[in-house]
Amino acid sequence: MSKKAIIYVNQFFGQLGGEDTAGVGPSIHEGLIGPAMAYNAQLKDCDVTHTIICGDNYMGSNPEDAVAQILGFLENLEFDIFIAGPAFNAGRYGVACGTICKAVKDRFGVPVITSMNQENPGMEMFRKDIIIMKGGNIASKMRKDLAAVVKVANKMLAGEQVGPAAEEGYFPTGRRHQVFIEEDATTRFMRMLHARIAGEEFVSELIVPKLDRVPIAAPVKDLKQAKVALLTTGGIVPVDNPDRIQSASATRWGKYDITGMERLESGVFKTIHAGFDPAAANADPNVIMPIDVLRAMEKEGVFGSLHQYFYSTVGTGTTEKEASRMAKEILPLLQADNVDACIMVST
Amino acid sequence: MKLEIGNFYVNEIAFGDELSFKDGVLTINKEEALAMVKEDDRITEAELYIVKPGDEVRLCPVKEAIEPRVRLDGKGLFPGYTSPLRQSGNGVLHALKNCSVLVVGRHWGGFQDGLIDMSGPGQKHTYFGGLNNIVLVADTNEEFERYEQQKKNDALRRAGHKLAEFIGQCVKELTPEDTDVYETTPITKRSAEVNALPALVAVLQPQSQMEALGYNDLVYGWDMNKYLPTLMSPQEILDGALVSGSFMPCSSKWSTYDFQNYPILRALMDEDGKDYNFLGVIMANLNVAMDQKERAIQFIVQTATELGADFALVTEEGYGNPDADYVGAIAALETAGIKVVGVANECTGRDGASQPLVTLDEKIHAMVSTGNVSELIELPPMKVVLGELEALGRDGNSGGWEGDEVLGPSVRPDGSIIMEDNGLFCGDMTVGWSHKTMKDF
Repeated sequence: MSKKAIIYVNQFFGQLGGEDTAGVGPSIHEGLIGPAMAYNAQLKDCDVTHTIICGDNYMGSNPEDAVAQILGFLENLEFDIFIAGPAFNAGRYGVACGTICKAVKDRFGVPVITSMNQENPGMEMFRKDIIIMKGGNIASKMRKDLAAVVKVANKMLAGEQVGPAAEEGYFPTGRRHQVFIEEDATTRFMRMLHARIAGEEFVSELIVPKLDRVPIAAPVKDLKQAKVALLTTGGIVPVDNPDRIQSASATRWGKYDITGMERLESGVFKTIHAGFDPAAANADPNVIMPIDVLRAMEKEGVFGSLHQYFYSTVGTGTTEKEASRMAKEILPLLQADNVDACIMVST
Repeated sequence: MKLEIGNFYVNEIAFGDELSFKDGVLTINKEEALAMVKEDDRITEAELYIVKPGDEVRLCPVKEAIEPRVRLDGKGLFPGYTSPLRQSGNGVLHALKNCSVLVVGRHWGGFQDGLIDMSGPGQKHTYFGGLNNIVLVADTNEEFERYEQQKKNDALRRAGHKLAEFIGQCVKELTPEDTDVYETTPITKRSAEVNALPALVAVLQPQSQMEALGYNDLVYGWDMNKYLPTLMSPQEILDGALVSGSFMPCSSKWSTYDFQNYPILRALMDEDGKDYNFLGVIMANLNVAMDQKERAIQFIVQTATELGADFALVTEEGYGNPDADYVGAIAALETAGIKVVGVANECTGRDGASQPLVTLDEKIHAMVSTGNVSELIELPPMKVVLGELEALGRDGNSGGWEGDEVLGPSVRPDGSIIMEDNGLFCGDMTVGWSHKTMKDF
């Protein structure tokens, strides 16, 4: 009996239109729309039964609702694999593919797969959770990218082990495993040694990532005059989370006015961080964002003044790349406000 | 220094009337051999078995492996350990190849012991699954450590070494099929051409982290915990100067057989004088406290620098805490301008997501990876178990467990097993035999 696949595409590949329909909510369709046709033709012993379409903006703005609706569509369907994209370098589409693949994998435990370009922000956000094939940057690479997805998808469908990232063509998921190879360690060692001696190229079997070390800042010259700002990766936000900062793998940050506040009140602020038990922080947000203590120190004259805004995001699962981008966005604002020192509160 | 090793290739091992080697057949008089083993009155029970590749046999808990050999000058194989001190690395010895003496606990295992499969999917996980083996299965009266997770295994390990020497006697008077010659000229006496080549040292870090004595690797019988790095000739290592210890998860260990045959050292000697000048081995160790680690690294770097080394091999017998010694040595050598190629296994966890070495340094530029100690391995039952399979789960073996909420017990009622790579006998073969590498998934 042939297996079943369900395909996820955005409004454009779902043939609803372009940017004007990006706000459309999820819908499910029996049969083949857009790339689903090619998947159906190329997947081995597997029929594509449904195509799910969702506007990129809808998924981006209402991810919880969009995911809940789609998981609802899938609840009573039988399927052996879930495929999203390819998303190329379309940022919102890539994040959508990653979001829905991860959700489907977590809920139903079926294999999921997608494809993105290395520049797509969805890649760093989701490569540790799901298999993301290395894709082209523009839609004209559709044939090639789709064929690459199919190759690995067919292995998943056949219950075969998916091989190493470099051989299969997906982004490394952050896992390293041993594999048996033809050459013994002595042969590999001697070759690497000869290459080092000759100054030739070689590939180390363990590549140590370059650490992005930031030099420790110079001490604040005159703390009594300094304007101090508070920043956190602990996810403290106004209770309605106006900037829709994600609870994990954050790509967004917020700037919140604390003018006139002696402390952060429970019920007014909360944490949206998914990496720890929020009970204590929700009962007293100051345990993460210590406005109360800093106001007291401000009064005592320990430092000049507390900056009128604090900045917040979520650190759990957030990639170094995203974190450094957010920092580069926040920095000019702090500089424009003549902030002299920052306290970065982690959790 | 000149060491000649005459090779006798063993195709078959049999029990018979007389200890002998003829036409590739090694014959052992079992009673005679066992009587010799039982001369140590700590041995309470002993039996010999013969296993070959393809046999449906599982060995557990394996404690040591030794290549049977004899020195033609009549001196002992392991100076300072089973025989009086002598200088290793010179002279002629005869060796029985494709063959090892394996020592297996009759009942009791421990953290440091390993498992060998002679056939099936587990065979490739150890070097010894591919050899003809004489297996000594024995028990001892060492009550003080019977239920200890960390065992010295002293009586059993010594019994294995003596048995290997005993068996080796049968080729003393015979003519070897071929001979390997390992000859070096003292460093300052080498030709101008050789001295003009880039200079290389091999930095070996054998296991010596047990503060209590009697568990660690020995150099000329000396416990390497109380030791500082020194310069040795590679021939000394091939000729019994180093004896394996009884500490460290087994897949990261170097057995005495590994020291006797050290493939990377032999390859370095084979190609010596072509595009490098092999200055010798800086025999280091592995330590526990940070100052001990730093002191040993200082000795390594100073020796390498004073010798004028340009390149170095660095390799460790262990993982986890000793990674600090290994990575520390690599980083310090690179800082001193000595370019390193490292060889080690990794510990990335069962899910593969952990940091590969306990410490990392950007100065690691070139490394050969030989396996993941925490890889989960599932193996079918074997018809015959030599030793006691329960030891894998019961006695604190580093790759086994009594029970696990998800995985169940390591040893299942049907004789199939699930274990971590950690518990495979010298399985990661960092000495150079490993056909494993690490890949990103």
